[in-house]
Amino acid sequence: MSEEPAQTEAPTEFGAEAPVTGQGRMAAAWGTSAGDEDLSVPQVAQPSSTGHIFQQEYKPWHGTLNPRWMRNWAILRHHLLGIFKKGHRPWGMPTRLFILVVFIASLSDAALTLLSGLIGDGSIHQLWGVSRDNLYGHVLGFFPRNVLYYPIVAALLVGAVISEDRQHGTSALYFSRPITRFDYVGMKFISVAIIQALIILLTLTLYYLAEIISLGRGWAWIMDTFPLFIAAFLSGMMVIFTYTSIGLALSSVSKGKFFPGIGLLSIVLGTKVLAVLVSTLFDRDILYLLSPYDCMAHVGQTLIGTQPTYDQYSWSWSFASLIVMNAIALYTLSARVSSMEVTRE
Amino acid sequence: MDELIIQTTNLTKSYGPHVALDNLNLAVKKGATGLLGPNGAGKSTFLKTILGLIQATQGEGTVLGHDIRTEGDAIRARIGYMPEYDALNPDMDAIHQVRYSGELLGMNPTVALARAHESLQYVGIGEQRYRNIGSFSTGMKQATKLACALIHDPELIIADEPSNGLDAKAREYMIQTLTTTVQSGKRSVLMASHLMDDVERVCDNIVLLHKGRLAAQGAIEDLKAIDREIEIHVWGGATKLEQAMLADGLSVRREGRVMRIAHIGEDTTMRILACAANTGAQIRRMHEYEASLEDLFLVIMENLGYEVKTSEDLLASPAQARKVDAPAHMGGSGA
Repeated sequence: MSEEPAQTEAPTEFGAEAPVTGQGRMAAAWGTSAGDEDLSVPQVAQPSSTGHIFQQEYKPWHGTLNPRWMRNWAILRHHLLGIFKKGHRPWGMPTRLFILVVFIASLSDAALTLLSGLIGDGSIHQLWGVSRDNLYGHVLGFFPRNVLYYPIVAALLVGAVISEDRQHGTSALYFSRPITRFDYVGMKFISVAIIQALIILLTLTLYYLAEIISLGRGWAWIMDTFPLFIAAFLSGMMVIFTYTSIGLALSSVSKGKFFPGIGLLSIVLGTKVLAVLVSTLFDRDILYLLSPYDCMAHVGQTLIGTQPTYDQYSWSWSFASLIVMNAIALYTLSARVSSMEVTRE
Repeated sequence: MDELIIQTTNLTKSYGPHVALDNLNLAVKKGATGLLGPNGAGKSTFLKTILGLIQATQGEGTVLGHDIRTEGDAIRARIGYMPEYDALNPDMDAIHQVRYSGELLGMNPTVALARAHESLQYVGIGEQRYRNIGSFSTGMKQATKLACALIHDPELIIADEPSNGLDAKAREYMIQTLTTTVQSGKRSVLMASHLMDDVERVCDNIVLLHKGRLAAQGAIEDLKAIDREIEIHVWGGATKLEQAMLADGLSVRREGRVMRIAHIGEDTTMRILACAANTGAQIRRMHEYEASLEDLFLVIMENLGYEVKTSEDLLASPAQARKVDAPAHMGGSGA
């Protein structure tokens, strides 16, 4: 018996030149001839192709991991770029808006200096131009800058750094990687400090440059005022460091945004209010040493050379008090971060 | 000889008077290993010690050839750790969270992003990768944590309760993913879990800790021999047969007509049949009872004097069932 090769049925063509078979499109599609199969030919059901949506396949990676500096840079850029774009640390919209508003508001003296240069109005320049008092005021002025601007920015930032890692357990993500506690806390500290520096130090620098550009200041003026600018810059660094260390210490002992933020504001503004109340009621000024702001102001006034508020006391007391405050904050911060868990927080 | 990925010698970790790890001598081979033990057995301390996060009080150990006392950074760069608890920022997209976890290992941002896509695809949430983690189910969060652990293709994955809190489908997928990682990816997995079924499906070996000490270690198949039994179904004279077997020195557990006799030697079967012949009982069915890892765990822990919950208990009420305490004579409440 000769075996004939199985003939595969050609698919129905419906072109213009297709032969007339009497089978319409619908008949071909819905198989109206089903049930009329030739039973003399053995038929085997063919497995239908069900498609291929997902196949789990392990893909190896043969790359090389970069060293410590790259890991630290990752932490830094994660926090910094999060202010500007998606895909990094998700800072809340109110925080980002407030930082923008404070940045613009902090440039008010620079803007008015530019304006005075543009319109040649000496009275505006007298009020807002670069001077010993105005440089001090840009960094350490109490109202509005150290009431409404800088402490609130610091409070918004520190409330979302270490405490959120503890809240969400993301500290495990860091510590199960080759990241030391020192690098972790160091990069968080620097990230928060840099964002504050954009507001305090960058605007200070722009203010100083605005004076030079708008009024065409020469080298003689720069030589005269540059030490003042440097003193204001150092004072700004002192403000940033103190707010950051106290804020992060509070952040490290909590598991949410609210406590560190409100705690920082309470310490900065509450101690100041307390010192003022005691001074008013009992004529005793010494409690200013409990106030981080008053101590920074005292040291800043000495650095820049303006009239000290508490001139009956040596600035070294304020400086010592600041060192003690920062030391306590940093000790708390390091102790808390050292005890952060990987397996359970 | 199989390559050892974790080895410890007399590893001891004390917190003041409390000894969390007590002279632990471990040798974990390449492949999948389950880390078992009731709460307080020292599993977390062991994991932290081998990650190089806490210093051992005494003893030494290596992970992937690195000294746990001095090379913690190198160890953590070569392993992938999947924590039990939430370790993800709910406000971030999965893709960026996984990419960041790669960057924290030292990966270039571009490379980390490419690997994040691959890792998320592998764990089965490739289509959801641009969604906020806060909107994820528990299973998807677990998968994202696994993707974070796998992003740099580590040689050893330490998965702490990977199937904890997952529904049946997600649990199945997690187990399948870990199995594929071991079998297809040729990676090693150290899996700490309270769910014995999961450990048995993924792992070939187990390490069982008990009060900081090593209670059992080895291949699951070998350890199961501890709990080897012969099951018989008896018709007529079951009580007589039971008494005869007990009189013959066999260990019998009976539930109605079904009896399980401890396999104590090659002649156990013949002794059972002899007892049946003497008592006139009919044995209609006889087969070796395949113990599960859970049975093995329960036997070992019972020998140690612990009341241990079963997987059913754990799945029914994890919070309550996992409260395992030491027996009264060992200082616990006996609960």
